[in-house]
Amino acid sequence: MRIQISHLTKTFWRGARALDDITLTVPTGMFGLLGPNGAGKTTLMRVLAGVLHPSNGRVLVGDHDIATRTGRSSIQRTLGYLPQDLGVYPDLTAREFLDYIGLLKGLDNRTGRRRRASELLEVVSLTSAADRKLKTYSSGMRRRVGIAQALLADPRLLIVDEPTAGLDPEERIRFRTLLAQLAGERTVVLSTHIVDDIAQTCRELAVLAHGRLVFRGTADDLTARAAGHVWTVATTGPAPGDGVLVSALPQPGGVRYRVVAGTPPPGAEPSTPTLEDGYLALSRQREITPAS
Amino acid sequence: MTAALRYELRMQLRRPDLWSVTAVTVVLLWLLTARSLPIFLSEDPRTAMIRAIIICNVPLPIGYAFLLADRLVRDERLGVAALLDATPSSRPGRLLGKYLGCAAATALPVATIYFGFSAVYTIRNGAPQALSWALAMFATITVPALLFVGAVSLCGPLVMPTAVFRVLFVGYWMWSSYLVPPKLVPTLTQTVIYPMGGYPIQVFFGYRGGHASGGSDWAGPVPGALFNALRPAPTVATAWLSIAVIVGLAALTLSAAHLVCERRTR
Amino acid sequence: MRFFDRWRYEARRAGRATLLAPWLVTALLAAGATLAARTAGNGAIPRTLLSAVEMAIPLVVGVSAASLVGRDPAVELQLAMPAGYRGTLLRRWAVTVAASALLAAGLCGGLMASGWWARWPRTHGVLLGQLTWAAPVCWLAGLGLLAGAVLRGPAAAATVVTAPWLLEQLLPDQLQAHQWSRLLYLFATTGGRDADWGPNRFVLLASSVPLAAGAWLLLGQTQRLLGGETG
Repeated sequence: MRIQISHLTKTFWRGARALDDITLTVPTGMFGLLGPNGAGKTTLMRVLAGVLHPSNGRVLVGDHDIATRTGRSSIQRTLGYLPQDLGVYPDLTAREFLDYIGLLKGLDNRTGRRRRASELLEVVSLTSAADRKLKTYSSGMRRRVGIAQALLADPRLLIVDEPTAGLDPEERIRFRTLLAQLAGERTVVLSTHIVDDIAQTCRELAVLAHGRLVFRGTADDLTARAAGHVWTVATTGPAPGDGVLVSALPQPGGVRYRVVAGTPPPGAEPSTPTLEDGYLALSRQREITPAS
Repeated sequence: MTAALRYELRMQLRRPDLWSVTAVTVVLLWLLTARSLPIFLSEDPRTAMIRAIIICNVPLPIGYAFLLADRLVRDERLGVAALLDATPSSRPGRLLGKYLGCAAATALPVATIYFGFSAVYTIRNGAPQALSWALAMFATITVPALLFVGAVSLCGPLVMPTAVFRVLFVGYWMWSSYLVPPKLVPTLTQTVIYPMGGYPIQVFFGYRGGHASGGSDWAGPVPGALFNALRPAPTVATAWLSIAVIVGLAALTLSAAHLVCERRTR
Repeated sequence: MRFFDRWRYEARRAGRATLLAPWLVTALLAAGATLAARTAGNGAIPRTLLSAVEMAIPLVVGVSAASLVGRDPAVELQLAMPAGYRGTLLRRWAVTVAASALLAAGLCGGLMASGWWARWPRTHGVLLGQLTWAAPVCWLAGLGLLAGAVLRGPAAAATVVTAPWLLEQLLPDQLQAHQWSRLLYLFATTGGRDADWGPNRFVLLASSVPLAAGAWLLLGQTQRLLGGETG
């Protein structure tokens, strides 16, 4: 299920432009979305999920136009959506919550719906807590319930916004793997700040900044942006001033810094770039920063 | 406490609901007084101000209560309660600051409406003493009422859903207003805990009459009615007692709220 | 099965307290009337119950309807569902109205069975008499939903609902002085004129439709709902 976005603009009240003339094609499979805070990622996700209407432009999900009510309804029938700020009903148990969402998604058969809910609770390791009220759940557990509800109707389009926020490392890896396994013939749009999640699961990605598309390509292409610009240096002095500081690791005798810079700091050694380095190199080149 | 007061005041003033409620209340007041306004404006300053405050004290505290009803339970809903509890500030101090800050902000439209009328009267009739009367009446009649209503409104939703509280408050306010004759139905009208300030109205400002129920007294015993033990003879002492009781009840309500909050977080 | 399952969940979302509020209010009124009976006579309780049917229960419904919009913690998820959120809200609204309607009809039934109903000519018999509560309930419920959709703040929306109710409580004589205001008088059974009762009930019912329709239109603007409660 391909997503074709043409000249998409979303303007809010008082003219705040959250998305500015975005043209993008999202192929079937895993697709990553990166960007600083306020870049427009969540707005884009909401438009794709039919939660917000575009101000201008066109969005086709498969053959369905999101601007029409029938198109939106058709998309939402095959959609699994995990919003960044997932709200739940605290008085419902996890099982009841999934049952209710299943009803809203049109899963009419009660037995089938409840069986599906049980299966998904098993997948997200919540079977033992399934009959506890959601108000007793930790934020990580609520996130897992959110993942489960997104998968209820066997969606062909999955939109997940910060899906691994609050999950422990093991859960994160398990969920990433699950998403990657689901991708197959489905389209999974993954928006996250955790670059490693995208590095491990997405071949293709886009980067947004200030509502605009600043990069579209493969993960290798983005990583290549940092080729020849990644350095590590161990020093007892201050951090290198030039470039973007990626990490600072205290060690006996000083600190080991990793930087993305045009010129190597004194005493630095070249390092193999990662996707995160590529993203930071792009940020530096395009001067993309969190929205103020 | 002062930090909580400052910021709660600020948040409440920024709230769109405050101005929507004020607008609706102004329209309601205008509809209620459209015919009698010219009469008010032609009366002597003391009578005009007292009648204005009596009229204002029916609808304005209802909007006031509605606006305050969710301020305390809001912290839990927004998820800031734990954050605030982790600061060195004391919970009673924060509660008092929230109460005073929210109450002051929400009272601002109430005061603006009432003193706005006083200003119009003063300018129209060239009677600056009207403002002095207005100030004295606001301080002794409206302020205790708003302190009481504010405390009850902050605390009521701790023990019941906010929507239910709002409905019950309307019923309570109507029941405890001068509209319900105490002989017919057991009410708090004309008692020392009558939040509309019957004792100050009658004793400090010498006003009698104007009851929608047909009576003329605002304080004191009612032959044949229940709760006459709470209706001592109207004197200066009992008028101050009434104010003290109403403010004391507000303090008691806030203390109870503090205990409920403490219990919940233990 | 799906039909009942769905309505069951929406009833829970409307809130147990909202559904029980009319009962609580009526019980409090009845308790007060019982106390009043020693001075006001035996008719105090039936008259109070009639007032509850026409005055208290509609106010409860209106305020409850006003608080339905803007308080959904999972609104973003709901907006992404193929089951439209408007329909979901309307179900909750219907449950709120139906719960009160059940109580009001039950109270009317009790008054009829006790013979009190027939003593008040404006109650107009068994079937038509249900308009005693149905008309103000529909009107205030429609107003509440519209106010909630416009203002998205329960305090402001509840004030909008309470304002006409309060106005009509405080100025009954003035409102009876004009034809147009008599037709919109919420308490025509307990306080209006005989000749106006039928047209009054019809006008209230009819005018609740554009109120609900206005709410329906506004609730279709998902961006407004995403903002949640204002303030």
